[in-house]
Amino acid sequence: MAGYILKRLISAVPVLFGISIIVFVIMAMIPGDPATAILGSYATPENVEKLNRDLGLDKPMVQRYFIWLGNMLQGEFGRSFSLNRDVLDEVLDRFGATLILAGTAFVLCALLGIAAGVVSAARQYGLADKAITFAVLLGISIPSFFLGMMMILIFAVKLRWFPVSGMWPIYGARDLPALASHLTLPALALAVVATGVIARLSRSAMLEVLRQDFIRTARAKGVHERAVIWRHALRAAMVSIIPVLGVQAGFVLSGAVYIEIVFQWPGVGRMLVDAILKRDILLVQGGVVFVAACYVLFNIVVDVAQSMLDPRIKT
Amino acid sequence: MTLLKLTRRAMLAAGAATALALSPLAVSAQTPSDVLIVGQIAEPKALDPAAVTAVNDFRILMNVYVGLVPYKDGTLEVEPSLATSWDISEDGTVYTFSLREGVTFHDGSAFDAAAVKFNFDRMLDETHPYHNTGPFPLAFFFSAVQEVEVVDEMTVKFTLNAPYAPFLSNLAYPTGLIVSPAAVEQHGADFGRNPSGTGPFKFAEWRSNEAVVVEANAGYWDGAPALQAVVFRPITDANTRTAEMLAGGIDLMVEVPPVALSEFQDDSYTVHEQAGPHVWFLILNAKEGPFADKRVRQAANYAINKAAIVNDVLEGTAEVAAGPTPPAFAWAYNESLEPYPYDPEKAKALIAEAGAEGAELTFYVTEGGSGMLDPIAMGTAIQADLAAVGFDVKIETYEWNTFLGEVNPGLEGKADMAEMAWMTNDPDTLPFLALRTNAWPDKGGFNSGYYSNPEVDSLLEAARAATDQGERAKLYQEMQAIVQEDAPWVFVANWKQNAVTSDRVEGFSLQPSFFLLLDDVVKK
Repeated sequence: MAGYILKRLISAVPVLFGISIIVFVIMAMIPGDPATAILGSYATPENVEKLNRDLGLDKPMVQRYFIWLGNMLQGEFGRSFSLNRDVLDEVLDRFGATLILAGTAFVLCALLGIAAGVVSAARQYGLADKAITFAVLLGISIPSFFLGMMMILIFAVKLRWFPVSGMWPIYGARDLPALASHLTLPALALAVVATGVIARLSRSAMLEVLRQDFIRTARAKGVHERAVIWRHALRAAMVSIIPVLGVQAGFVLSGAVYIEIVFQWPGVGRMLVDAILKRDILLVQGGVVFVAACYVLFNIVVDVAQSMLDPRIKT
Repeated sequence: MTLLKLTRRAMLAAGAATALALSPLAVSAQTPSDVLIVGQIAEPKALDPAAVTAVNDFRILMNVYVGLVPYKDGTLEVEPSLATSWDISEDGTVYTFSLREGVTFHDGSAFDAAAVKFNFDRMLDETHPYHNTGPFPLAFFFSAVQEVEVVDEMTVKFTLNAPYAPFLSNLAYPTGLIVSPAAVEQHGADFGRNPSGTGPFKFAEWRSNEAVVVEANAGYWDGAPALQAVVFRPITDANTRTAEMLAGGIDLMVEVPPVALSEFQDDSYTVHEQAGPHVWFLILNAKEGPFADKRVRQAANYAINKAAIVNDVLEGTAEVAAGPTPPAFAWAYNESLEPYPYDPEKAKALIAEAGAEGAELTFYVTEGGSGMLDPIAMGTAIQADLAAVGFDVKIETYEWNTFLGEVNPGLEGKADMAEMAWMTNDPDTLPFLALRTNAWPDKGGFNSGYYSNPEVDSLLEAARAATDQGERAKLYQEMQAIVQEDAPWVFVANWKQNAVTSDRVEGFSLQPSFFLLLDDVVKK
């Protein structure tokens, strides 16, 4: 097992190198440079050249790449041009905020989606099934940013149940209830689409299981229907639901970008969008490499966990 | 079995959590009185006036720092402040300022001539020990400064390498705000997060991506402000900013999108408007193609329905521009100029005279960018107006930074016309950088359409060298009349900056400089 983990970690190194090269080259190739972005209307060739020199962008590309890489290997991600702040500090702050948002949304969509799918399957073609199917299709069809804006309009502007935007109150305690009230709308808006997908797939997984012999046996034995559904059938169906959850986790994380913009959530997605528009090279590069490293690590952990649980997967 | 139990328990917990979350826990509390919450458009880069370039950051800085000679309330003319008086030498190259006594920075250190010298040397002298706290992208505003000398404790002398009339206006710009040398020495490159000035508010707290908080400076030499504190919240998305204003999460909102203005028509809000030193125009390629002919350039000015653009596309958030200089520069503006009227028939006649009927034009349009208002919708309206007089206009759209990279080096061989907008602090800046023959792109200027008129060149050189404001005004007015007639640009719009305040806010007004001054604001 230790050998397997080591092997996977070593194989991650070239992946991260590749990512660092790709993001560096993309940032170097896209039109528009940071000096022009900073100077705006005052970007005379002379001013641009001087500012590029001050920012250390006048060196050849290859040299700049290795300086950046060398610094990064020592944990120095550099300083953001647009925020005048250490890149790693900013990325860690922002990534934490994204994890809270996406994590909550993921838990919500997993629980609600599976529950809706199971109920739908248990009452196939019944009223509950039809109602859930309708709600689910509606949820899948609404773009999350539009849903977010509508939620702001109804629950924050009209009813004033929740704050419009942000993660913490400007005044008052920064405690769990304060966070929960700021988190509710964005997390729900983010969870809706994934909830729908999970509900649809849970429903079909459940229907397949419910047609199998062991379910008939359980019912014939006189097991209570509720136990048949939730204990016997769901357990078997989870085998095909869990991979769907994995895929949806990725969608929730990437979908967070729109929600972060609409709800002014201080997450890493919005940070990257701002940084790209401002040509904040170091912040984009550092952010992408950091997120990619987390993603690679997460995948390794999942694979290792799976191989521990399922002996059929060879290590 | 374990999995099942876990799931069921988890579902219960989730149900409880959802119910808890959905209950109206925190009905967004009313904002506290005497604390003004401002909805800004972005997170500031730094609170170091020498290091930043964005109006967004200036809105905070103008309340924390004061300069030697700021703009007088409601104008673009300078008045005494940290400098109580000044004297300009005959030849316009030596400026001597007497400084205000008894002023201290927020960190307790004293304001004196040495502090002024430190500020300018830090920006301009590459050997200064704190030059590395930059970069200072707008330091070129003071590139005419040869030397700053401390005459005595309260007198400072600037020597310029040539007469440069916009010098005082540039001192009024945020780049000229005076920072505390002691704080720079203490914090070095982190000064931008630990600012210290002499303004009505002093820095209290910066929570990244949440808020910048400034508190009243009780010892402010011009009288302590009425507010206890101001909170600047970055809210990038304009719709979200509007929603925050409607929900009471902010008291003052800047840059209200034109379509959202109708939300604020009732008595609980006040909409503020103020025309600023802004001009939105089309650069015409006067070097080649149909616009090399003055008649075709004038025809474009007649053909475009500017009133429809400012009223319909921009919902009245701008006024029709008459010439290259915005009317906000009241002292230098030529009142006799009338905008080109909308007259497609006259345009057609001029085009026929020049033999340019049915010409194909390439039009550079940007997607956004500072001061560009609603560039795609405006570009489309312009395309339609030009099509109505027989031009075949092909639009090419670029993202802002890419757009600048295409337009600033000049339009030759690429395009016939391009959108552009400028916001400046002196009537000298834009024409000097974008209309002179010596400002063609290959000479390092922004004259991307290659306009050239020796008369305009000499008027602008003379205005820069003159020190008397009345004399400068005459030269600028003459220049405006010539440029309007030559039509190197299509003069489209002057933007009116807007803001909304709630009915709890009193004493607020916008400045033509587009800065936000909050020392006289009261909140109930």
